[in-house]
Amino acid sequence: MESAATLTRLVRRVFYRLVVPVVSIAAALSVSGVLIVVASGNPLEAYGAMLQGAAGSIGSLATTGVRTTPILLTGLAVAISFRAGVFNVGAEGQLYVGAAFATVVAVAPLGLPGFIHVLLALLAGFVGGALWVAIPAYLRAYRGVSEVVTTLMLNFVGIYLISYLIDPITGPIGERNASYAQSALVQETARLPVLISGTSLHAGLLLGIGLAVALQILLRYTGLGFRLRMLGGNPTAARFTGMNSSRQIVIAMLISGGIAGLAGAGEVIGLRMRLYDRFSPGYGYDGIAVALLANSSPLGVILSASFFGALRAGANAMQQATGIETSLVLIIQALTILFVIFGPLRGWVATRTTRRAGLTPGGSESAP
Amino acid sequence: MGRIGCRGNQEKAGVGSTDQQSSAPELLRMERITKRFGDLVANDEVTFEVLPGEIHALLGENGAGKSTLMKILYGLQQPDSGQINLDRRPVTIRSPHEAVSLGIGMVHQKFMLVPNLTALENVVLGVSSPRPPLLELRDPRRRLMKLAEEHELAIDPDVPVWQLSVGAQQRLEILKALYRGARLLILDEPTAVLAPVEVGQLFRVMRLLAAEGRGIVFISHKLSEVKAVSDRITVLRLGRVTGSLPTAAASPSILSSMMVGRDVSLERVSPPVQGDAPILELQDVSCLTDRRTPGLDSVSLTVRRGEIVGVAGVDGNGQRELVECIAGLRPITGGRIAIQGRPPKGALRTIGLLGLIPEDRHEQGLVGDFDVAENLVLRAYGRRPFSAFGFLRWNHIRSHAVEQIDAYDIRCPGPETKVHHLSGGNQQKVIVARETQEDPALLVAAQPTRGLDVGAVESVLNLIRGQRDRGAAVLLVSTELPELFAVSDRVVVMHAGQIMGAVPPDPTRLGEVGEMMMGHTIQVAGDGGTAA
Amino acid sequence: MPLDPAFITDWGSAGIRLATPLILATVGGVFAERSGVFNIGIEGMMLVGAFTAVATSYYLGASADPAVISLLAAIAAMLAGGGIAFIHAFLTVTRRVDQIITGAAINILALGLTNTLFRAIWGETGRERVAGFPEVRVPVLADIPVVGPILFQQSLIVFVAYFIPIIAAFVLFRTTWGLTIRAGGDFPLAVDTAGLSVTRVRYAAVLFGGAMAGLAGAALALGAVRYFTPGMTAGRGFIVLGAIVVGRWHPMIAAGACLLFGAADAFQLRAQALNLGIPYQFFIMLPYVLAVAAVAGAIGRASPPQQLGRPYRREAG
Repeated sequence: MESAATLTRLVRRVFYRLVVPVVSIAAALSVSGVLIVVASGNPLEAYGAMLQGAAGSIGSLATTGVRTTPILLTGLAVAISFRAGVFNVGAEGQLYVGAAFATVVAVAPLGLPGFIHVLLALLAGFVGGALWVAIPAYLRAYRGVSEVVTTLMLNFVGIYLISYLIDPITGPIGERNASYAQSALVQETARLPVLISGTSLHAGLLLGIGLAVALQILLRYTGLGFRLRMLGGNPTAARFTGMNSSRQIVIAMLISGGIAGLAGAGEVIGLRMRLYDRFSPGYGYDGIAVALLANSSPLGVILSASFFGALRAGANAMQQATGIETSLVLIIQALTILFVIFGPLRGWVATRTTRRAGLTPGGSESAP
Repeated sequence: MGRIGCRGNQEKAGVGSTDQQSSAPELLRMERITKRFGDLVANDEVTFEVLPGEIHALLGENGAGKSTLMKILYGLQQPDSGQINLDRRPVTIRSPHEAVSLGIGMVHQKFMLVPNLTALENVVLGVSSPRPPLLELRDPRRRLMKLAEEHELAIDPDVPVWQLSVGAQQRLEILKALYRGARLLILDEPTAVLAPVEVGQLFRVMRLLAAEGRGIVFISHKLSEVKAVSDRITVLRLGRVTGSLPTAAASPSILSSMMVGRDVSLERVSPPVQGDAPILELQDVSCLTDRRTPGLDSVSLTVRRGEIVGVAGVDGNGQRELVECIAGLRPITGGRIAIQGRPPKGALRTIGLLGLIPEDRHEQGLVGDFDVAENLVLRAYGRRPFSAFGFLRWNHIRSHAVEQIDAYDIRCPGPETKVHHLSGGNQQKVIVARETQEDPALLVAAQPTRGLDVGAVESVLNLIRGQRDRGAAVLLVSTELPELFAVSDRVVVMHAGQIMGAVPPDPTRLGEVGEMMMGHTIQVAGDGGTAA
Repeated sequence: MPLDPAFITDWGSAGIRLATPLILATVGGVFAERSGVFNIGIEGMMLVGAFTAVATSYYLGASADPAVISLLAAIAAMLAGGGIAFIHAFLTVTRRVDQIITGAAINILALGLTNTLFRAIWGETGRERVAGFPEVRVPVLADIPVVGPILFQQSLIVFVAYFIPIIAAFVLFRTTWGLTIRAGGDFPLAVDTAGLSVTRVRYAAVLFGGAMAGLAGAALALGAVRYFTPGMTAGRGFIVLGAIVVGRWHPMIAAGACLLFGAADAFQLRAQALNLGIPYQFFIMLPYVLAVAAVAGAIGRASPPQQLGRPYRREAG
């Protein structure tokens, strides 16, 4: 009896959590389907090919995993900042700087055992990302300067900084006489292990999933998580409990930046094995979309990142099978976000869940 | 729901004086205005009128309904019932713009000025230009300067507003209203932001404007100012008019009896005998307000173990600053504060030392999106048994919540209910439960009953009294005198950032408190001074 | 070598050409931000403008005089930019959705739409040159040594960009519309109580901003290269955001910042060949570093419109 009721409650909670993203995705796919029809294609065929390409075989599942990994990490980075009431739109730059830090460690012949070298490279990536958000964090926490413009602008500074660092002529870590701007090759000892041989799926995905679980635990089960949520929920009330808000803002932003840095590190030592100029096609911005679709829940980010990863992975198959341009997935992604933020559905969920609790919204029934 | 009626003598005072005005040429008449927000009746059949050339003071505490009444007049809100007449003609005012075109001007407490625009640009914003769409400023400047000169409202028209002093911004607001042809001017607590010298200037301007035949509504809760400048006084209390009378006829005792709060049916219980160890000590404490004006002025106060010290006073006389200084949330500029001999910095992080029931439940006391269980450990989450090695122990947090919900009679479906779904009284109980759960040596309660209905008021006050009985030192800040008199062991009165005196909670001393609230110093016999 | 007059002429001329799209979009962005709406979707709106301009010119082909075609293309680009801006205005002003998230989504949408349509029209690799803005050489003035060719021998759109900031500053500071826009971002409640509609003001400013971003895209695509490549705005929309901050929300100062950024960009292209010892990347970074310094308060007081980024809601209680 008891457990059945608990189960019903759980199912209901999951339902209300999922209804907005699922309906938004469905709406986005429908609108894109209309676009496909307009372009005289067959949407069912196109989506079928996409599904095949994203999950039709071990190889395609691996591709989905590879595409999921960086946006899973940047999604987590953005989500944790959202939860603390901070808007880190600088994940892109933090990702690049994290990648550069990781590269410096990873290309060095340190003669360490693989496990430790990998950990050091990841740690460097985290530090790099955190460092890159440190100035915006300081300005926000202690000077009241909005973090939006600062983090956004530092994205580009980061990108060009990396471009300089790996410049074949002037760059301190650029490979001399290479035809492309690139770093040296990552040491064997510093490479993330491949999960499925014959594919490029690397342990970065496990890192992301593990981190999502860790963040979920952090937010739900630790004092630090409690403080961050309190800060995001009501900063004034947080101050009235005697909390040092500035310090928590800095902590939240450093964690966020560090995770974005890990995303960069993972790409370098897991997939590309070199640091390249402009290697990210906007993973940092995708992180905003991923976090939003997941309503900033770390475990939800696993789902939303997988969805976007699958779209990317399926895009090539779709193009080969139907000739429809891969960038259709960008449209699907953007429409999904626009439908999520458009909002009427969220209002419906809010009133439904409130009524469920047996209360009127706003709660004005009189106290006895 | 559950409004408490006014006392009989106040009703009489009100009826007696309104009848006298029937033949005068009225400018404004708001008739039987009623406005509800949910269960709260903000205005209950309020009738209010202003004559040409009259300065009409509207008196009342925060939450008495003054703001709602004026928002209705200015078109920011619509009444549920009632009628507004201007020049004896019924009007409907759907927006501030309509109010302005009817000749109503309002100077809000929070100025409606665009900081980065110049004074002149602010004046012409929304006023049609002589040569649209060009921004023609030559004629407006001339008109503005003329108005400024005629009414002794000195202003530099070309300075961005953010560079103007608060007093200058207020003058600009008045000019803005005059420029738009205001015949009826509402001044919402205009003196709250002014230095004493500026108050005098403002009163001169008000009289000048009245002499031109304009009607002026002067909102205030400073009795002395009201006496000094107004022609007539209307008192609002809990949404109702408790009296309206010519200023000349208003003695301090009549006014304070009109303003005096509701009755509380709490029996006085004589304090349990406790030691007299001082818990909270303030010595010559001074601080600034958010506006960087003097907030506290050399306040000395001692609260001992097992006593409730009530802080009476009209809102905005330093009570908020007092509470924030004690809680370590506001830096002091002079003097010394000690809670059990320690400075208040970090006191909020020491749960057994200081409990704080903040003034604003929603903004300061609760995280609306957190559930009841979480809000109950907002301060204690990091300690045993709620936490171990940095990890939260939800089973303890939840069972603690179940206990507290039971002990404090918090009406909610369960510990997982989001606190923003709770009623005000139950929200307040969550805060009281949280702030007293570790038996703090000192409990500071700021307006703990504001906005609650009768039942909730009593239970919250009983909880506070329970803390005293267990031996806590309690500082209770309230604008409700009967409430203070019912539970306090001693009442101190604040005015303009100072403590004017202390009286024992004897109902016969109410008059003295009223006098002190107006800033009169009274030699209090007996009970002694305020310092230790 | 850098002081060689030929080098200066070449550099200055390129600098102004590169600054032109920035100036146009920046002026639009100043209006939107002054009214209280932050728009990181300018990048996407520029991209859509660039695509629309090229596509229009492509389809009109040889049907008319190149000058007429470029004019029609520019109008089409402005309409397209305004259309995308309508989504932004609807979501942020009417639905009061977060402006950053909306802008980010718009950028992704614009990239997806233009990429898809580009391939649909020109195929996998195709880029076809189309008719662009005609080159204008002002007689006499263009003959002035060094400065003449820099300022007076340019594409038509560059001359437009000379006047736009001046007109914009006039509108912003000398008309009632401008007054309302400035008040809308600083203290919308004052606009509302003055009987003006905050919603209408913000819509107008955002739509204007989108149209200018579209025109900027047209300037980018039809000013010099005369073809479209996917993602060709390459972050210029974000430089624009920096220019607005550095220019302290003043159209003329912001346009000045754009000139500086254009000059820096033109210089870095040349610096790579010159071997100056300063990595060219540092010149590209300049706009962004200056923008951070500006918001941090390192270069004078740069206070943004006070309600920038916040939806307006008339208080109910």
